[in-house]
Amino acid sequence: MTKLVGYKRNWPASPALNSNKIAFMTDLQALTVHFPAILASSVHDMKNSLSNLRALISQLESQYPTAKPPEFKQLEFESNRLNNSLMQLLTLYKIDASQFNLNVDESSVRDILDDIVAQQSNLLALSDIELIAECDDDLFCFCDSTLISNAIGTLVNNAQRYCRSKILLSAKQEGEYVVFYIEDDGTGYPQNFLADSQKTFGIDLITGNTGLGLFFVATIAKMHHQVDRHGYIKTDNASSLGGARFSLYLP
Amino acid sequence: MKLNLNSQTILVAEDQAVMRETLKHILYEMNAQRIVEAESGVNAIAAMRKTSFDIVLCDYNLGTGKNGQQVLEEAKHLKLLPFNAIFILVTSEQNPGMVLSAVDNKPDDYLIKPFNGQQLLNRLERCFMRKHALADIEIELDQGNLYQAIGNCEKLLAQNDKKMRMQLLKIRAELALKISDFKTAKAIYLDVLLERDLPWARLGLAIIAFMQADYEQAIDGLQDIILQFPMQLEAYDWLAKAHEATGNIEAALTALNQAIELSPQTILRQQQIALLADKAEQVDIANKAYRAAIKLGKHSVHKSSRDFSGLAKNLLKNNPNSNLLNLVSDLLEQFPNDPEARLRAATLESEIYGALGKNVLAQESYEKTLKLNEQFGQEAPRELRLEIAQACFKKGDSEVFDHIMQDLIKTNIDDRKFLETITQVCSDVMGENYAESLIHRVKQELVDINNNGVSLFKEGKTKEALSVLEQAVGNLPNNQTIVLNITKIMLHDLKTSGSTMAKVQKAQAYINKAVQLGITHDKIGGLQAELARLASIKLK
Repeated sequence: MTKLVGYKRNWPASPALNSNKIAFMTDLQALTVHFPAILASSVHDMKNSLSNLRALISQLESQYPTAKPPEFKQLEFESNRLNNSLMQLLTLYKIDASQFNLNVDESSVRDILDDIVAQQSNLLALSDIELIAECDDDLFCFCDSTLISNAIGTLVNNAQRYCRSKILLSAKQEGEYVVFYIEDDGTGYPQNFLADSQKTFGIDLITGNTGLGLFFVATIAKMHHQVDRHGYIKTDNASSLGGARFSLYLP
Repeated sequence: MKLNLNSQTILVAEDQAVMRETLKHILYEMNAQRIVEAESGVNAIAAMRKTSFDIVLCDYNLGTGKNGQQVLEEAKHLKLLPFNAIFILVTSEQNPGMVLSAVDNKPDDYLIKPFNGQQLLNRLERCFMRKHALADIEIELDQGNLYQAIGNCEKLLAQNDKKMRMQLLKIRAELALKISDFKTAKAIYLDVLLERDLPWARLGLAIIAFMQADYEQAIDGLQDIILQFPMQLEAYDWLAKAHEATGNIEAALTALNQAIELSPQTILRQQQIALLADKAEQVDIANKAYRAAIKLGKHSVHKSSRDFSGLAKNLLKNNPNSNLLNLVSDLLEQFPNDPEARLRAATLESEIYGALGKNVLAQESYEKTLKLNEQFGQEAPRELRLEIAQACFKKGDSEVFDHIMQDLIKTNIDDRKFLETITQVCSDVMGENYAESLIHRVKQELVDINNNGVSLFKEGKTKEALSVLEQAVGNLPNNQTIVLNITKIMLHDLKTSGSTMAKVQKAQAYINKAVQLGITHDKIGGLQAELARLASIKLK
């Protein structure tokens, strides 16, 4: 691990410095080998720190019995976002390191939607945005429900940034797939985000959107399979509310 | 049935004051009235000893002492949790069911941090509903009534509640495995797999293959599971067992090591590794695992004095020195007032002094061993008893040796593998025939008692027959034939001279004992059905 510290200093100034170059090579190899693990453990650490931060925020919040400053909403929103991103990075790392498999069970779709609404409940209570959840009570789906509700939750969280006042969360059976929809009444996805399942999503440096949320849910979707049918996602602007529509298909 | 937190007694175990406050705040906002808090694992257990909780919210990370999983294990072990209590393990681990997976004792649910009040309430409500739905099964399991649990599980399945269906099928198949009803279990697993490729169903099939001694198929199936579901840790445990059964200790160790790499906190796996490595005479690996088990054991209910004596014995072989006595005092310190630990310590001490040439002290410790053996020997694990017997033989105490061996043979007369071990140990010291003639004698005694009971029964002397056989159970407690015959005679008695509640309960206790002894469903299932029929006639 100590080798990593020196790697910037050893960055080759000139190709003539052969010995340095070898040192650099070794260090860089050490970097490639260890970096993912360091990244993962750091992310884990950040998550712990974040959860303490959130506990502190909620304590502070409880000291304001009636009129809470609006900053709390922003704090919760941002910490939610941060937490979801860290969780997704960590999960992607584990998938890559073969330390992960889905925990699939037959789940009630109603329960999954309830979980997502619950996750957003504090936030929605503080804003003017309406989140509507719709599905049949007897709809069931084979999936890793923890992961799916987290992934969809992130997207709902995102939708709050882009919608005007309404988000519709729904699910239904379509042929051999159960489809989850997130629709909003905003201006819709930008062109580079409109894609079918297989494409990777554009990184938009201006809005700061990394595409992690979509990439994550696309990866998780694909891991769900029944024989040779895999899950996938779709993004379009065919929302019944006039804005963006995200669809997650699970076999 | 709706969950009302108002009426629930709740324990919040969390080491960080800020988090504890937050959780309490959330719970009070949801109408909770009775909340007890604990800031460490030890205090959580202490609180559970004092109060019977309906809900326990326990953080996995509780600082330096016990972790949340260990709290759960200890609470279950000490029976501090009522069967309908909800235990939720709180963690920031995204994949807790897999990463934190213990070999047994899973919490009712995991709650992943961060969460808000609504999320917590959702989770509690779902646990509550599930517990409520499964209560009829759990009550019977709590009493050891497997067949009644199966009956209730069937009834619940017939209600066709889709939310419960998969869980009930899984429970039904596991119960079938417990009574060695492989046919039913296999049918369920195959049906589930037709619907969906779920790892637990595949694991079930592999376990059946293992139990039917088809080790090759078990190994194939398990390796396949691990390839596709690398976090399915139970598959590694079964793979190790299957490899061990085929004599491939090396492969068994590899499988367990893989599981430990993925989930390092499991003491039971370390103990398994230590024993396997000892068997294969891989001393370094064994010692490493013993040390890990001792370390993990500090806060675990699974800690075992055997880990200390295993390590000490290996070290003694390699390099006898007086430092080993420290290990003995550690052992006594870790297990105060534990007869088994005292026996182990005395045996070890005697061996260590002997190896160091301190004969007076060695003799003193040996005498201590003998005294403890007289007091507690019968409750000691059989591997320790064998060891004590060997020590006695070395000292020329053949009477004690004889006594222990006879007792071991009597209590393990159906366990072919263990009898082989005994024969092996005896032939090393007493010559080939010693154990064989002992075993023969016990078996003959068994046949005589059994024949006596059966002929009394045939003469119509039911009472006398039962009394002869029941007396034998005291002497040969683990013999299948006697227990099976008692059950049959009791059923006959119920049929002919009418049934009372007491008789039905007694017969049920013998059936439960038979299942516990491993008598398979094809032998006992019919008797259970008969008892159920007789009991229901009585109720009418």
